[in-house]
Amino acid sequence: MDDAAAARGEKLSSGNVNHLIDSVDCFLFDCDGVIWKGDTLIDGSKEALDMLRSKGKKLVFVTNNSRRSRSQYAKKFLSLGIPVTQDEIFSSSFAAAMYLKLIDFPPAKKVYVIGEEGILEELKLAGFTGIGGPEDGKKTAEFKANSLFEHDKSVGAVVVGLDQYINYYKLQYGTLCIRENPGCLFIATNRDAVGHMTDLQEWPGAGCMVAAICGATEKEPVVVGKPATFMMDFLLEKFKISTSRMCMVGDRLDTDILFGQNAGCKTLLVFSGVTTPSAFHDPSNHTHPDYYTDKLFDIVSLM
Amino acid sequence: MLSKAAAVVSVSAYLFNPQPKTPKFQGKLSLQSNPLTHSNSLTHTWGNNYSSNILKMDNGSSSAFVTRASANPLQNADELIDSVETFIFDCDGVIWKGDSLIDGVPETLDMLRAKGKRLVFVTNNSTKSRKQYGKKFETLGLSVNEEEIFASSFAAAAYLTSINFPKDKKVYVIGEEGILKELELAGFQHLGGPDDGGKKIELKPGFYMEHDENVGAVVVGFDRYFNYYKVQYGTLCIRENPGCLFIATNRDAVTHLTDAQEWAGGGSMVGALCGSTQQEPLVVGKPSTFMMDYVSDKFGITKSQICMVGDRLDTDILFGQNGGCKTLLVLSGVTSLSMLENPNNSIQPDFYTGKISDFLSLKAATV
Repeated sequence: MDDAAAARGEKLSSGNVNHLIDSVDCFLFDCDGVIWKGDTLIDGSKEALDMLRSKGKKLVFVTNNSRRSRSQYAKKFLSLGIPVTQDEIFSSSFAAAMYLKLIDFPPAKKVYVIGEEGILEELKLAGFTGIGGPEDGKKTAEFKANSLFEHDKSVGAVVVGLDQYINYYKLQYGTLCIRENPGCLFIATNRDAVGHMTDLQEWPGAGCMVAAICGATEKEPVVVGKPATFMMDFLLEKFKISTSRMCMVGDRLDTDILFGQNAGCKTLLVFSGVTTPSAFHDPSNHTHPDYYTDKLFDIVSLM
Repeated sequence: MLSKAAAVVSVSAYLFNPQPKTPKFQGKLSLQSNPLTHSNSLTHTWGNNYSSNILKMDNGSSSAFVTRASANPLQNADELIDSVETFIFDCDGVIWKGDSLIDGVPETLDMLRAKGKRLVFVTNNSTKSRKQYGKKFETLGLSVNEEEIFASSFAAAAYLTSINFPKDKKVYVIGEEGILKELELAGFQHLGGPDDGGKKIELKPGFYMEHDENVGAVVVGFDRYFNYYKVQYGTLCIRENPGCLFIATNRDAVTHLTDAQEWAGGGSMVGALCGSTQQEPLVVGKPSTFMMDYVSDKFGITKSQICMVGDRLDTDILFGQNGGCKTLLVLSGVTSLSMLENPNNSIQPDFYTGKISDFLSLKAATV
């Protein structure tokens, strides 16, 4: 293989798969586009995880999808026939709550959530008061002279993630908090542009809601999800494994692969999600994983 | 322990950019340096797609080429009035606030007309059509002709006309009535608008959203009925219909929809589409000079004969400067004196004053 091809990453094959597996103690997996698409399991992903567990590998799931909490994700895995404990899951919903804990966010202050149940549940578990969320999807704004759009002055942080119930009320509420409550934080679970929220097509991701708030506040958020290393720092603290003995498996170059590379892990790109082989091989792409393959099950079939 | 990605980057730099930029591209750069561009995204600059008249910045005014000293408070109103032939007024914060007229406006406009000045009204607000704005002016007791009004809703339709957008292609609208009406008047087919505000999606297995493959442009503006359905529809059109244009009426962060407070503006909806498509739009509203070029072409006026009057530095004043005309900032809207004088602010109008009725109260010093 020539140098240019090597720089672009190696195609996973029966010649290198065993080396990869032997050199890694802990596999990190993105979920959407790697394990499942929407609520449908990708063929062979269960078998691949079973095989790795049988070889004594540690499995960790790192997802930017903030719609569910860790325990809700564990339930989803179980419903798809894959036993995973919530300690093995790092969702960006969890990351947002942990970030607030890390910076000693005062529990007396509230958190306004533009996002779904997962964020609210993680905030609650961490001892914070979350307001907003799906309920505000039913609210509308009134534009009348002499009537003010009110917002809670005790909101000290606005957390923005994927929100299928996004509407003007939430945009306005979050905007007022950030612009008018002194010191109010603007936190994004992640900035993925699109994702496979259902098995059949891609849908706008948190990147959309976050950018909407950026547009109205003219501020940039703290991002806790991939490719920011916050979740990596957190799980390294917990598992104490060297990143050189880890492999990040993902379908997205600008989050998953970058996340793995930033921390010094090996990286494996799969084409079962948002990235197509042509987008990957296109000269405009400058992110190169160590390995690439069609789907996770190839780890089993190529052995 | 926290990565550098965890640092909060305040991008009031969008407004108060301390580095002097090549003035010719001032308007373009203030949009390019927006905080919405994801660092690893495949954004394409809006220079690539569009007819060159969008990018034409007439630099007749030498004031555009130097980092200016502070703006001068307006003292000799008559001198300014006599030096120009046309006044372009922003509306929100200059003529009215919400639905209330600002003091002294009718008398000021009458005085200017009596002196033979042409009056033009340019607003980034796309919720109404020109005709509907005409009615608003009328309700407030101002005699303004529909032909003198240029809203960004009109600008979007006028832009499509100027590029010969094919009549057999459709336009998907994330925005309100004003845009729909102007598209109709210009003879374009449209989809979306307020009706799509009632449409729901369900993220569950087997759910698939179709989109019309004949959509050749998505126009995004302020939309109080904004929802996930519309974002997905617009995103699908932009990403999957070959050559589909992404047009923004404006990118104002906040706007005074009522006089009592600020409201999240068109910049929010446009931002959402930038976030999901990872593309930058063509902006037809201020500070892009499209409406200025249109007005000066239509009325046959030279830019140096125009004074732009507005309350917002990063749209109105930048619009005037990019267009090469004189600029007057009024403090009756969103900008305060301290914001103007803030060392981080590099947008300096030629003059500033409290409100436009100062034209009546300020007199030349007598000899």
